[in-house]
Amino acid sequence: MKRKSHARVAGLVARLVALAIGVQLILLPWVFKLDGKPHANWQQFLGRFHPLTVHLPIGFLVLLPVLEIAGMSRPALREAAGFVLALALASCLFALTLGYLLAYGSGEAGPGVMRHMWGAIVLTIGVMACVLVRPAWSSGAVSTVYPALLAFVMLTLVWTAHQGGSLSHGSNYLTEYMPTPLKRWVAPGAGASGAAPDSFYTQHINPILDANCVSCHGASKIKGGLRLDSYGALMRGGKDGAVIIAGNPGRSLLLQRVTLPQSDKRFMPAEGRPPLKPEEIAWIKAWIQQGASSTATAIAGVSIQQAPPVPPIQPVGNYSSMMPAIERMASGQGAKLVPVSGKPSDGLILNTVDVAGSFGDAQLAQFDAFAPYIVEAELGRTAVTDASFDTLAKFTHLRALHLERTAVTGAGLAKLAPLKQLVYLNLSGTRVTSAAVAPLASMKNLRHVYLFNTPAQPAAAAVNTPQSAAGSKR
Amino acid sequence: MKQHPLCTDCEQSADVMSMPIPAGLKQEWAAIETRRRFLGRSGKVLGWAALANLLGERGLRGDAHAEAPPQAGPASRQQLKQPFFAPKAKRAIYLFMSGGPPQMDLLDYKPKLAALYNQDLPDSVRGTQQLTGMTAGQAHFPIAPSHWAFKRYGKSGTWVSDLLPYTAQMVDDLTIVKTTSTDAINHEPAIMLMNTGNMNAGKPCLGSWLSYGLGSMNDNLPTFMVLQTKVNAKENNQPVSSRLWSSGFLSSEYAGVGLRSGGDPVLYLSDPNGVDRAVRRKMLDAVEALNRQTMTELGDPETNARIAQYEMAYRMQASVPELADLSKEPQSTWDLYGPDAKEPGTFAYNCLLARRMAERDVRFTQIYKRGWDVHGDVTGVLPILCSETDRGCYALITDLKRRGLLDDTLVIWAGEFGRTVYSQGGLTPDNYGRDHHPNCFTTWMTGGGVQPGITYGETDEYSYNVVRDPVPVRDFNATILHCLGIDHNRLTYEFQGLDQKLTGTTPANVVQGLLA
Repeated sequence: MKRKSHARVAGLVARLVALAIGVQLILLPWVFKLDGKPHANWQQFLGRFHPLTVHLPIGFLVLLPVLEIAGMSRPALREAAGFVLALALASCLFALTLGYLLAYGSGEAGPGVMRHMWGAIVLTIGVMACVLVRPAWSSGAVSTVYPALLAFVMLTLVWTAHQGGSLSHGSNYLTEYMPTPLKRWVAPGAGASGAAPDSFYTQHINPILDANCVSCHGASKIKGGLRLDSYGALMRGGKDGAVIIAGNPGRSLLLQRVTLPQSDKRFMPAEGRPPLKPEEIAWIKAWIQQGASSTATAIAGVSIQQAPPVPPIQPVGNYSSMMPAIERMASGQGAKLVPVSGKPSDGLILNTVDVAGSFGDAQLAQFDAFAPYIVEAELGRTAVTDASFDTLAKFTHLRALHLERTAVTGAGLAKLAPLKQLVYLNLSGTRVTSAAVAPLASMKNLRHVYLFNTPAQPAAAAVNTPQSAAGSKR
Repeated sequence: MKQHPLCTDCEQSADVMSMPIPAGLKQEWAAIETRRRFLGRSGKVLGWAALANLLGERGLRGDAHAEAPPQAGPASRQQLKQPFFAPKAKRAIYLFMSGGPPQMDLLDYKPKLAALYNQDLPDSVRGTQQLTGMTAGQAHFPIAPSHWAFKRYGKSGTWVSDLLPYTAQMVDDLTIVKTTSTDAINHEPAIMLMNTGNMNAGKPCLGSWLSYGLGSMNDNLPTFMVLQTKVNAKENNQPVSSRLWSSGFLSSEYAGVGLRSGGDPVLYLSDPNGVDRAVRRKMLDAVEALNRQTMTELGDPETNARIAQYEMAYRMQASVPELADLSKEPQSTWDLYGPDAKEPGTFAYNCLLARRMAERDVRFTQIYKRGWDVHGDVTGVLPILCSETDRGCYALITDLKRRGLLDDTLVIWAGEFGRTVYSQGGLTPDNYGRDHHPNCFTTWMTGGGVQPGITYGETDEYSYNVVRDPVPVRDFNATILHCLGIDHNRLTYEFQGLDQKLTGTTPANVVQGLLA
């Protein structure tokens, strides 16, 4: 009888202690407000162990239902579950403390941080409640409260852990490489930025900020009160005021911080992340210089070679069965079909260098049979003429065409228009005129056209003759 | 069996064992006999081995239609002579700056050094770094800031020394590697390591591996050509030997063919008076018949190499004069390369030849420029070296670019090591010297396969140690091979029981950060 009352007193004390801790946890965010300002360094130092310790309670909690269920047939495991639950509570409290130190010490704020924090507090209180109700359940007195509470704890755990993961890896970590149909289903309508879709900002500036800055200055983490995930937020600036001064790159804080020496404490991107590329900095600078507009589509002086994306290389069919015919061509005519690589689907190169002088339109026409397999035709210095375009138009997989120093005049170049794979065309040293090459403009994938030493050559830039080295010294 | 014409006594000899001579002599005779037989037989065995090698595995197994095993493992014979995967570059030009250019005077800008003039290099920076015998005895290691100012150029804002006004114009095309590092500290081992992947002589060089692995694109010119730049006596010229373009244990067909810098590009290439093409052809046919006979008798694969070289020389009699005939070059060429290019043997002339070889699909051209070994008088010698090479480099890249050749040609600029930040010998406000430095040196590449307009890697503020992204020689070479469509782990050749490769036995990596 005495022992029983003793146990009851202990139970009461435990409940009171749990209540006190729970109230404290709920009050914590009001006592130590997460105001986005960094605090003591020792808090950050300890806080940075949060990502390490946080996995401990996760492990214990996941183990718990496993032990409880397995314990139905093996009672010893159920006994162990009580111990694991106690460990889970202890590690929850520990991880929560460190997590709070991390957020408070480094001045983290933002909805993502808040969600993670509240998730952790609710989870910890839930685990505490589990500890209190479990004895009644294991003695068989109350059968439903503990299982229901445990299920709730598990769901809270998943949600809280996901919030934490989004903080450290970015909110698109899980969806970034998700197959597109699934993605559309999970996150419809992402990525509006408050700027014109074809503007220089949307095309070039936003992607740079997105890749380098938004993990700390975005929706889930708002360091320094600054968000860079939309045009409006970028122009609004942060705690230290505006980061973009339109027309004045020198005074724009954003540009200043990314161009500091990397050893500087204020250098961005912080924490050892890779610095912005020189050309990215140059684009941001030019964009600010010219008014930091949300609508301008082009920035004078910046020509970003992005053109159309490289067309995906189409594999040619397997030509292995034609090898004897290919070899006969080489020994007969002298012009060779050379494999691009050991992979037959990479295609063949038509190589004429050994017989250039005698290789003309008639010889080229004999390669008709291999047309779909030829990805590159080296016809430089050969005797081919404009008549060759009829044959070449059948080379449907042609990617590179060399016609330098040949007699072509460009009449009929338009016949090459169906060659959707063609990216390289060398007409150097021929007699093509600008009128003759005009039809090429319609070939969207054709990005390298060489017209050196032709009437069509754009006004030749004078050869730079820099001043001699001896003139300037330290 | 037919007796070999040179062997007169090996088939029927008197029975020495029955002669009345001392037993010791008999024993010695027996030993000789055994050795002679062994050598005689092994010649034939080697012949069979070579024949089997020539026919390939398929020929011996008789299943000529068998598919080549896909991917992985060393390249089988039928996979050779073509890239493993579609390459970005079909050919390469290697501008070799022999002697070790001083990186902090050219492209590795170190602004903080000016304030440290004549201060000792901190021991913490030098660490346990081995020094050469030339400066190991120095009591002090006074820091010598560069004598020249640096400015930023191009969209990439790359810092370039005033010594390289032409290179400065093309920085947006270059892939600058500031953190190339080597294991050797003296010229010969370092230059061997850079070229052959091994400090000891006897291994094939990069050009030979490329010839072996990719084959020729132009039957009338060698696959691998070497151009030497005329020596300037004012410079400290370290010797450059043919070991650097040797094919090592690969067949000598793959060795580099050097062009001379003056007179006939290839000695004895023109026919002597009274010998016309027909006579030459007849003579070569007769020599070939004799060589084939020797081949069947002795089976030395080098005989085949010799036959191929005679044929190549015959074709070069027509192709080389055409290659070296600059009379049809337009004025724009001379405007670009400058007056030096008209004088055979200068660096600019060699650059122009390299462009002409690229046009003619020579697989690999290597230009050697000696004299970068500036142990002393940096301010006197370095401007000469730069004025000799700067414009040629710029002209070559610009020319390749405007002719549409840079898309599939890889150009490499490198020496065998860098130089020390501290002065060798005395340091005065006007002059200093620099010793060899293996930890970091600056190289660049451009063209097919590499990312233009970037600087890769970072050195400390003394340009003494690598801070970020080191590129050891083996990684540098692996990257070059990658640009040409070769997996450095699969281009191998079994020799002395090892699958030998350019990058050696230490695991090497393609430097992804350099790739386009």
